[in-house]
Amino acid sequence: MKNKQIAIVTLMSILLFALLTGLTIAGADSESANAGEVTYIIADPTGDWGYPSPHGHYPRGPGYLRMSYIFDTLLWKDRQGFVPALATDWEYLEDENAFLFHLRKDVTWHDGDKFTADDVAFTFNYVKEHPSWWVDLKSVERTEVLDEYTVKIYLTERYAPFLSDVAGALAIIPKHIWQDVETPNEFTEPEALIGTGPYKLVDYSKTHGTYLYEANKDYYLRKPDIDRLQFVKISEEMAPTALMRKEVAAAGILPETVEEVRGKGFVILNQSGNWNAKLMINHEKEPMSSKVFRHALAYAINRTELVAIGVRGHAIKGSPGLLAPISPYYNQDIIKYEYNPERAKDILESMGYQLKDDGYYWRDGEILELELITAPRMGFERIAEIIARQLEGVGIKVNVRSLESKTLDYRVMNRQFDLAISGHGGIGGDPLILNKVILGKFGYSANYTKNDTLNQLLEAHLHEMDQEKRNEIVREIQKIYAEELPALTLYYPTWYWGHDSSVDLYYTLGGVASGIPIPLNKLAFMDYKCDLAAPVPTATSAPTPAATETPVPGFELVISILALTTIAYLLKRRRND
Amino acid sequence: MKIPEIGTYAISFLIILALIFLLPRLMPGDPLTAICGEEVLVVMTPELKAELMHRFALDAPLWKQFFVYLTAMMHGDFGYSYYYNAPVLEVIFEALPWTLLLVGSSLVLSTVLSIIIGIESGWRRGKITDKFLLTTTMILNGFPNFFIGIILLLLFAVYLGCLPLQGAKTPYSGLSGINSMLDIAQHLVLPLIALTLAQIPGSYLLMRNTMITTLKEPFVRTAKAKGLSEVAVRYKHAGRNAMLPIVTTTGVRVGTVVTGALFIEIIFSYPGVGLLSYNALLMRDYPILQGVFFIVAVFVILANFVVDLLYTKIDPRIGVNNAEYAH
Repeated sequence: MKNKQIAIVTLMSILLFALLTGLTIAGADSESANAGEVTYIIADPTGDWGYPSPHGHYPRGPGYLRMSYIFDTLLWKDRQGFVPALATDWEYLEDENAFLFHLRKDVTWHDGDKFTADDVAFTFNYVKEHPSWWVDLKSVERTEVLDEYTVKIYLTERYAPFLSDVAGALAIIPKHIWQDVETPNEFTEPEALIGTGPYKLVDYSKTHGTYLYEANKDYYLRKPDIDRLQFVKISEEMAPTALMRKEVAAAGILPETVEEVRGKGFVILNQSGNWNAKLMINHEKEPMSSKVFRHALAYAINRTELVAIGVRGHAIKGSPGLLAPISPYYNQDIIKYEYNPERAKDILESMGYQLKDDGYYWRDGEILELELITAPRMGFERIAEIIARQLEGVGIKVNVRSLESKTLDYRVMNRQFDLAISGHGGIGGDPLILNKVILGKFGYSANYTKNDTLNQLLEAHLHEMDQEKRNEIVREIQKIYAEELPALTLYYPTWYWGHDSSVDLYYTLGGVASGIPIPLNKLAFMDYKCDLAAPVPTATSAPTPAATETPVPGFELVISILALTTIAYLLKRRRND
Repeated sequence: MKIPEIGTYAISFLIILALIFLLPRLMPGDPLTAICGEEVLVVMTPELKAELMHRFALDAPLWKQFFVYLTAMMHGDFGYSYYYNAPVLEVIFEALPWTLLLVGSSLVLSTVLSIIIGIESGWRRGKITDKFLLTTTMILNGFPNFFIGIILLLLFAVYLGCLPLQGAKTPYSGLSGINSMLDIAQHLVLPLIALTLAQIPGSYLLMRNTMITTLKEPFVRTAKAKGLSEVAVRYKHAGRNAMLPIVTTTGVRVGTVVTGALFIEIIFSYPGVGLLSYNALLMRDYPILQGVFFIVAVFVILANFVVDLLYTKIDPRIGVNNAEYAH
């Protein structure tokens, strides 16, 4: 008898469990496409990048991108560089140290209100009061509204990255909605997503990592050709299959799958130079504190081999000047440190090291032995092993040690290391990054302030408003940095995207906004090539089959009745027993 | 349930709390970033830093910090994820139903299946069916669950294309009611099979062994002698008695199923707690990791507790009623 009770209780719990879970998570999903609408689906391995409001998205590039479809900035970038957005034109007023922006007169917010200079001034003041991680407004002193469509932004000092990192990145928000919002990151009402951008958000699911946008019919450029823009969560490993099954139209893909995807007729986009893997050198510690010793390290490391074997060719060789050839600021006339083990040995010998029978260099009775720390990410452990072998080849004993990422960053930051492998992005955008990763005090920064000329130039380029002159300074910075060599850029990994070519995706010059290296610029979705996309259901104008299915109401009721009947039957049997 | 046993659970619970408290404080570097995650640096102002230092009493002695931490826990404050910009519990609870669905159904399915094949295998000991089942499960036992997951994914989703590639449901499909549930079920099939297959060998071997031992008991012979049908002897008499160890180990298995689900969720991009903790690891979002660790630990303790309770019901010889059955 007891066992029967238990059986009934268990059965009831299971049924209840299934029913509740089903009810909670099955929730009707009615956001399907209408006939004649063009849907473009993009795969993303992480999925959730936060609520796409200027203060709600997660502090990463993909989060900003999802917000940028809804909100506009004063100016924007396409594949060639700056293009007007909310501002039709702008000029720098040297005497006043201010930027003057003339705004578009035909812009309305998604709720129908008129966009004016007041909104721009409000946004600057609001973000100064509620700092955002994305845009640093320390360079802005105040704003002045000259008339309904003219606004002047006064700077605290001459600030060269203003156009790319402030005017081209700060999402303008409507004053009539945000003026009463005290805690912007908690503001997740539907009004928080009223912008002027080409898209409006229809749905965002944090759990499933999906986003659905619909075109803003009143967008000031014109209505985007892609009616519905959709992001779904699909791992990088499965992305090629999803592309081939026409479940998505574009996806970031792994280097190993590039040929397969290309072979199926997809267009492959690739870019290297926004991210760099680098060898951190503890320039405060003997013998790395000697500049020539650091040169010897650079000559002993074969970066071509690192690219060929370490990352199987899916990267380009690093420039000792840090910036990659894709950067408009790249300087190729710097010391290159081409692989030359003999030169490395000569340098070591000139420093008093002697090669002993054990194959290692010794000085003052001490073996030349270094520890190379690395973390288990981005294939760094393999890179570390190759570098260790190369250095051992010239007679430097190297012990490789793998640490947890945070521990590695901590040890680099506190200079408790000899050599370390680390990396960072952001080098495709404004050269402001140089100041951060040369002077900054954090895990992937060289934290190097010993060269006064370098320090002065790093300060100078930030305040040089003449583009040509700034370019010259940044080129000089790379030259000195390469000679000082506080860290050595090893390679720039190549990232790939595959897409069905119905939309002409491209990499934005200098990255989207302040440098996001993802080829999903909102301007790309304005144009749709019907003829190319005909066989692809993800971007066709036919309704999705799912939309025509008739939902069966009351399924939950049927389950409940079934469950109750079973329980009643069991109870009856029990009584009969 | 006896008081000492409740004491054991209380002690395990306290140890877990202490571990979650100590880990971020033992990590190298600033404990504040270890407690709040690296994202806090982005929004860190001197005021916020002072407020956080005060909130976690980081300048106070360790025992006081522990007290502050316990008080916060009792108020349901499990920390704040600066990456998700939301309280930790809120983030975890959004992912939890999917893990419960996966783990719950896998636990039920693997238990039922291993009991049935265990009974059949034990009954036919040495025969071809037994040998086949034994060999198959031994082979399965050699594969980690993520490997089974990858094989299933490649076979059914990539090559045959008959099941969905990823996720828990088709996004923006316009489905509702039964179609939506069928869609969810379709997405559940592969992760569920992978997780269940990896669970079966252990329970099956246990079930088979106890079945073989039970079949030698006198009461089985009595049942056979009474002329009961073979099925009745196999299931009602021998099988039911052989089931007891399976029930006991279910509590322990909850832990392995949950950790197994972590890998399976990553492979199938299933939006549960496993995928959440994987992303938290990538983003170094320590508060989420600690929260997941806590929730999983609580679930395992709870499952063991429930099994303990249930066990005394199923097998009356165990538990407080011993004296009653002594005479």
